[in-house]
Amino acid sequence: MAQLNVTSVPWIDSGDAPPLALDRDKRDIISQGIADPLVDYDIVPLTYTNSRWSAFFYRVDEAALRRILPKCLELEDDVVEFWYVDHLHTGLGPYGEMGVTVSASCKGHDGNTYYGGYYPYMYLTQDAAVFAGREPFGFPKKIAYIVCQEHGGKEDDGYGGFGNDYFNFTMERRGYLIHTATGRYDDAELSAKPSFYGDPKYGRMNLRLITDPSLRTTKWDLTYLPSEVTKATAAAMGRPETEGQHRFQLKPESIRTASPGAIRSWALTATPFDNLGAMMPVKELIGLMSFNFDLIIPGADTLWTQTIERTNEDIGDLLFSTPYQYTMRHRFPKPPGV
Amino acid sequence: MAEMFAVTQIPGAETGEIPPSPVDRDEKTAIIYSLVDPVWDIDVLPLTYTNSRWSAFFYRCDEKALRRVLPDCLELEDDIVEFWYVDHNNTMLGPYGEMGVTVAASHKAGDGRTLYAGYYPYMYLTQDSAIDAGRVLGFPKKEAFIRVLEHGGAPDDGYGVMDGKNYQFDYFSFLMIRNGYVIHSATGKYDDADLSAKPAFYGNTDYGRMNMKVVTAPDLSKSEWQLVYLPSTVTKDLATMMGRPDTEGSHRFQVKPESIRTAGPDSFDWFMQATPFDNLGHEMPPKEMIGLMTFSFDLIIPAGEVPWTETYTRDATWAGAAKPYRFGLRHRFPKPIGLGA
Repeated sequence: MAQLNVTSVPWIDSGDAPPLALDRDKRDIISQGIADPLVDYDIVPLTYTNSRWSAFFYRVDEAALRRILPKCLELEDDVVEFWYVDHLHTGLGPYGEMGVTVSASCKGHDGNTYYGGYYPYMYLTQDAAVFAGREPFGFPKKIAYIVCQEHGGKEDDGYGGFGNDYFNFTMERRGYLIHTATGRYDDAELSAKPSFYGDPKYGRMNLRLITDPSLRTTKWDLTYLPSEVTKATAAAMGRPETEGQHRFQLKPESIRTASPGAIRSWALTATPFDNLGAMMPVKELIGLMSFNFDLIIPGADTLWTQTIERTNEDIGDLLFSTPYQYTMRHRFPKPPGV
Repeated sequence: MAEMFAVTQIPGAETGEIPPSPVDRDEKTAIIYSLVDPVWDIDVLPLTYTNSRWSAFFYRCDEKALRRVLPDCLELEDDIVEFWYVDHNNTMLGPYGEMGVTVAASHKAGDGRTLYAGYYPYMYLTQDSAIDAGRVLGFPKKEAFIRVLEHGGAPDDGYGVMDGKNYQFDYFSFLMIRNGYVIHSATGKYDDADLSAKPAFYGNTDYGRMNMKVVTAPDLSKSEWQLVYLPSTVTKDLATMMGRPDTEGSHRFQVKPESIRTAGPDSFDWFMQATPFDNLGHEMPPKEMIGLMTFSFDLIIPAGEVPWTETYTRDATWAGAAKPYRFGLRHRFPKPIGLGA
């Protein structure tokens, strides 16, 4: 038998990676497993540089939008943002992302009204980014196959300056196509935008559900990220001059748009695993806006909470399936992993 | 105007195979987010597995190294660890590949009990729902590219190969990669040897399973560590809730003895390495390789109990290890495309 075990960790000696979790103060462990966290403290502060955002705007039936909002939120706008992001430089490494943002407001326990873009759906292409979003903050992230593609319109020599007239976005999960859209930018003025575009009073909101290992309780936390860099975040970053700036820095020179007529194809389907296509179909397609941006995501406030408690009978009600019997939601192509 | 195609009907919703969205149910049945479309839902429960295939390498590890990977509230019980892959085809979470390490440990609970268990310091899976469902119970799951393969040794007719009832395949290959780096690979041929030793929890119903769950507050001001314990046998409550009172007291993990294959330490090659993203190869290298045991099994995973907690707090001066808008070795790896189309 041949055996080779490579135990060295030279990147720690060089300072390129942080000390092993087991050699640090326990306060510096923010995620399980404690021997080798999925999300470690070298993602904090969580920053993004030169990511590319592509947002379709469309109107949705207001009753449909109210249905998907948690009871602590009020709907503020029927124009939603249906977006893809191509992330290349982030504290979590590179990944693709897709999500939907709905304008909403919440009356906080402090009596103030908070406005935010609420995320009912999110998909990403890698685990650390999914769980960095889910576990502390409540972003409702799943993993999917995602393509963000811009190309064409001019020839290039391979050193930058690539064409980006044509676009293609695709998302698949568990063998089903959830969404695809293709087309060519025409740089048209779009007739409307979601109310949170350019309005710093709108932060971002998520609903986090933490169920305890016994299933006896589930704590609901509406988490809130303000749109501007707070004094505490600016100080923690060592960049006091950023206080009051928007966390999301859009690069105006990078904007491209496509009117509804320039969006060549659009397919959105509900699947047995993902109900986005059933819950948020398009009522009126407004267009597409793509742009580059930098971003920081800080710790979140909690605006509203409730705790659900369950009796033995309630826990019994959770057992929807028949033991050792498998149905269509338990059958899909086996993923090989990322 | 765009050529638009919208399919709003959910296949399976009309037959009752799929539960309604939690937004249309009693809020007591919402357990996972998102509220409108959870990453896994109540149709995962009760969480059962049928005819999965487990392949466990046994090896001795330096005891000091093992004490290092255990949390302070656990005592080490054995220097033989289980380093395992699983091929899951029939589960309430759908099909997936899995890899993990189990260490025999014990915990003195506040109520006077001593709880024995296999503790999981490392785990990797190939899909998101299974990762999240496990993390709720404290399983330390990450996602990786995992291959589990048994083949060769006997020709087959194409029928019965994929139903998991063929145990005649002689050759095996196991491989795990994450963020571009190979973490582990082992290849070889079963020789059905008697293995010289097994981990303490093999065949011992005193041993349940334990995980350390970490719940961090949204503002990062604190993290609560929760030791989660799962007993090895089906409890009365679980048997009743499943509608199978006859299963009370039976082992949750049912090995199929006829499916066992083994390989002695001279029957396989082994490669393991630490990577910038995963330190298993650094923390738990083999001191003495004992062998491989592969078998098929059924399993049920119940809710857990929490016999120990501790909370670590962070004040406003706490900062992470990254520099804003600067990216280092751990932020650069091949961009994953997701689960593969």
